[in-house]
Amino acid sequence: MDFSALNDALASKSYDQIAEICDTLMLQVSSQGVVFQDEWPYAIHLLGHIYINDINSARFLWKRIPLAVKESKPEVVAAWKIGQKLWTRDYAGVHEAIHEFNWSPEAQGIVASFSELYTKSMFELLVSAYSTISTQDTALFLGLNADDAANYSLQRGWTLDPTSQMLTVKKQAVATEQKLDSSKLQRLTEYVFHLEH
Amino acid sequence: MEAEDEATGQMIEEEEIYVNGGGDGDESKRHRPIISGEQLDIEAYAALYSGRTKISRLLFIAEKCGNASMQLDALRMAYDEIKKGENTQLFREVVAKIDGRLGPNYGPDSIWADAVDRRAELRKEKLENELNAYRTNLIKESIRMGYNDFGDFYFAHGQLGDAFKNYVRTRDYCTTSKHIVHMCMNAILVSIEMGQFTHVTSYVSKAEQSQDALDPITIAKLRCAAGLALLEGKKYKLAARKFLETGPELGNNYTEVIAPQDVATYGGLCALASFDRAELKSKVIDNVNFRNFLELVPEIRELINDFYTSHYASCLEYLGNLKANLLLDIHLHDHVETLYEQIRNKALIQYTHPFVSVDLHMMANAFNTSVSSLEKELEALITNNLIQARIDSHNKILYARHADQRNATFQRVLQTGSEFDREVRAMLLRANLIKHEFNLKASRKH
Amino acid sequence: MNLNMNSMESLVAQIQGLSGSIADVNQLHSLLKQSEDLFQSELARLAPLLTELDPSIHSLGYLYILEACTSAPISKDEANELVLSVARFINLCAAEQIRLAPDKFISVCKRFKDQVMLLEDPMRGVAPMLTALRKLQLSSEQLTTLHPDFLLICLLAKCYKTGLSILEDDIFEVDQPRDFFLYCYYGGMICIGQKKFSKALELLHNVVTAPMSILNAIAVEAYKKYILVSLIHLGQFSISFPKYTSSVAQRNLKNFSQVMCELETCVLANNEKFEFDKNLGLVKQVVSSMYKRNIQRLTQTYLTLSLQDIANTVQLNSAKEAEMHVLQMIQDGEIYATINQKDGMVRFLEDPEQYKSCEMIERIDSSIQRIMMLSRKLTDMDELLSCDPLYLAKAGRERQRFDFDDFDTVPSKFTI
Repeated sequence: MDFSALNDALASKSYDQIAEICDTLMLQVSSQGVVFQDEWPYAIHLLGHIYINDINSARFLWKRIPLAVKESKPEVVAAWKIGQKLWTRDYAGVHEAIHEFNWSPEAQGIVASFSELYTKSMFELLVSAYSTISTQDTALFLGLNADDAANYSLQRGWTLDPTSQMLTVKKQAVATEQKLDSSKLQRLTEYVFHLEH
Repeated sequence: MEAEDEATGQMIEEEEIYVNGGGDGDESKRHRPIISGEQLDIEAYAALYSGRTKISRLLFIAEKCGNASMQLDALRMAYDEIKKGENTQLFREVVAKIDGRLGPNYGPDSIWADAVDRRAELRKEKLENELNAYRTNLIKESIRMGYNDFGDFYFAHGQLGDAFKNYVRTRDYCTTSKHIVHMCMNAILVSIEMGQFTHVTSYVSKAEQSQDALDPITIAKLRCAAGLALLEGKKYKLAARKFLETGPELGNNYTEVIAPQDVATYGGLCALASFDRAELKSKVIDNVNFRNFLELVPEIRELINDFYTSHYASCLEYLGNLKANLLLDIHLHDHVETLYEQIRNKALIQYTHPFVSVDLHMMANAFNTSVSSLEKELEALITNNLIQARIDSHNKILYARHADQRNATFQRVLQTGSEFDREVRAMLLRANLIKHEFNLKASRKH
Repeated sequence: MNLNMNSMESLVAQIQGLSGSIADVNQLHSLLKQSEDLFQSELARLAPLLTELDPSIHSLGYLYILEACTSAPISKDEANELVLSVARFINLCAAEQIRLAPDKFISVCKRFKDQVMLLEDPMRGVAPMLTALRKLQLSSEQLTTLHPDFLLICLLAKCYKTGLSILEDDIFEVDQPRDFFLYCYYGGMICIGQKKFSKALELLHNVVTAPMSILNAIAVEAYKKYILVSLIHLGQFSISFPKYTSSVAQRNLKNFSQVMCELETCVLANNEKFEFDKNLGLVKQVVSSMYKRNIQRLTQTYLTLSLQDIANTVQLNSAKEAEMHVLQMIQDGEIYATINQKDGMVRFLEDPEQYKSCEMIERIDSSIQRIMMLSRKLTDMDELLSCDPLYLAKAGRERQRFDFDDFDTVPSKFTI
């Protein structure tokens, strides 16, 4: 099996390509009749799906993994645990699943990168979904302890009411591109023409 | 202006009542509000009706009132009333219902009942002989009369199905449109007593075809009968129209079916539940004819005015007071809840209509309810898109919601686009499949 | 040239010699057609011949021999060999050559699929079958008979994402109704697995409303799934069929909808467990989508509402549970709201989309483009149909009032 593309992607931290690379390779080798299951990097493959938030594919991949592999490779189980927590929307559980396992050197990079990404997306979710939120919940969502969570959010413009331990969320203005170029106008003319004829 | 109208209305009404009313002695009684907040005055109520409906209504009250003394009152009056007639079957039913609770005077008077039955047997024989004779002689008019007499006979004895059949049989022997109308009126009467309102509708329209034979009183009766049928069919708006069109000539001429008070109550409530504000003004409040009826039931008149002038609490209070008695009405009983709900919803909708924001506390006050239950009511109305607003449950304020036309248009355009996309693709596919099947058939043939 | 026809060796030579230009290949094709009997009589000698051919250059000849080779029953050990060699051929063969003999190619691919399934290793077939159907297709609008086989293999191999790749194509050309039914049914299942409910609905709807003269089992199964997906995705489901639905389907499927309606009321009423065909998973999703639907309804009604009230209204156990539901829906873009933990309130917001961004304009633009494309297709089809002699003959027969004058307006070249 030629894992060079996968190794290149891991080395260059192009984690978003891992799922695709693994999927393609897996289909390719299995069509060649290769028995790949024992040496397949299932943990990385699962993490690759999780990294691009494709939990459906992670779930189906998990279903494809032979029982023997699940029993002999704890890292595969640990990787799926993250997926499971994402699947059930156990926000705090995701952080737990990330931190409770001692990841192998190959997986460390992608897990760390995902963890960072996930914390960031959780913070964005909190910004869009909350106007006030307790420091305790913030900590759970971000996977930090209460002080770190408060600091993390204070640095991003939130304010803290010390008596109630409630954080007030600072909304971010979303800038959208509204400019039009002339090609659009050209198109519009074509549409009108189309309608008239 | 308003006062003047009131006065003329009053005058006309008094005139009409004199014209149409029975004896002078009844008049004071007829003017009294029968349906009010107090417990129903059964005697006064029963006095509004005659014939079989009087008994039916009393028995209905006895069944529904859930109050022993009221029940016995109603049964006693029904007993007395039945004894004036010949319906021994109904008599025995009522005796069973009284069950000796009214003393020996209201027992199973078998001497009377047997005598009536015997007489009925003889009468029936006589009618049969007569009818047979007419039929052998083929005298149309006499046959008609014979069947008609049979109809009357069966009706008096409570055999409604047979009565209906015989009345309808006269139809083949009707020679004038007056006869037709007569036949229709009889069929309508029996059908109402049987609760067969589809028959009512068809015979009303049949009678209305004979325009030349209709006098104003009959027209008014037909309107009422049609109104009842529509009410029964839950077509409240159409029912309201019929009652509102009922002429003052009705007076006390149709007491075997309906009292003029009922016209006001049924018509008023149906109109309130189904008319918009403009219709309410033009067809009810400014309707001089109908005002005559409304004067007979001032509560209904008042609550309609309250509704129109947006005094909802008062309007709803009137309604609340009337409810117990309306539930004892044989025709209205099944519809009270629905009508009340619709009236209340209409009131809620009208109340919110002119405002940009409404304080729910004030609104709850106006409707004599709690904020939380008002919230639930509004939620249902908004969900059904009857009110365009949203509730700020935190601050208890209702905000009118003005849909952004531009955004809504964009949204609709995109949606229509994707629907079109899907539909056209599906259509092309289906066309392809049909073509394939057709080609297959064609190739098999060759 | 024909002198040595009955010798296999010379045939191989022909194949090697005539695989260049189009004319050569066509000539080879007729030669091969004539040699089919020979193949059948020389089955045992065929396999070794393949080694003398290059599948990427001598694709057509290779296909004919391979097809003959695979027609005999084989043992399980041989199956492995066969799967490998067919997979290799599919990968390497030249599309324009194999399209000359689509029946042969399809037959080889179907045998390949059968063997893969016998070996209970469906994943081995996924990549080759995808390649095969792509090579067979004249355009991406064409539904080949390999489509349903590919989707089935994807389902069995749990390669849903790969299956999805062909479902994104717009299909317009269908050869076999049965292929189409299965394609939509399997495709619907793949979309359900990937939670693409709107696409799933479209596919299942196509099966249910397709013209059919007798009810088929695929339509029945599709209809059951259709109802459930409709409940999940739209929160409702209408018992009436569009008027273009075949009368057979309308009559027979009503009974099934009855059962499902009861299920609906039952699910809606008491959330009890269900074991229904293999749709239990879907039934569960129906239940969970009800919470969403109810919360969504609240957004239409309320500007602000306490979490406790939300929990009470949609029958969740606690305010916290309600908060999590609301949060999930915000995350999925299903509602617009902000949660205020301090007051325990939720403020529902209007859709912030202003339809002003460039992105939105792009979207509208592409939508217009697509619709223009579809309208053109529709017009083309209409024109084609109204000039189709078969159609005109039928229309003429069925509609007597069709004057002969009307036929004169048809361009003469179509009235052959």
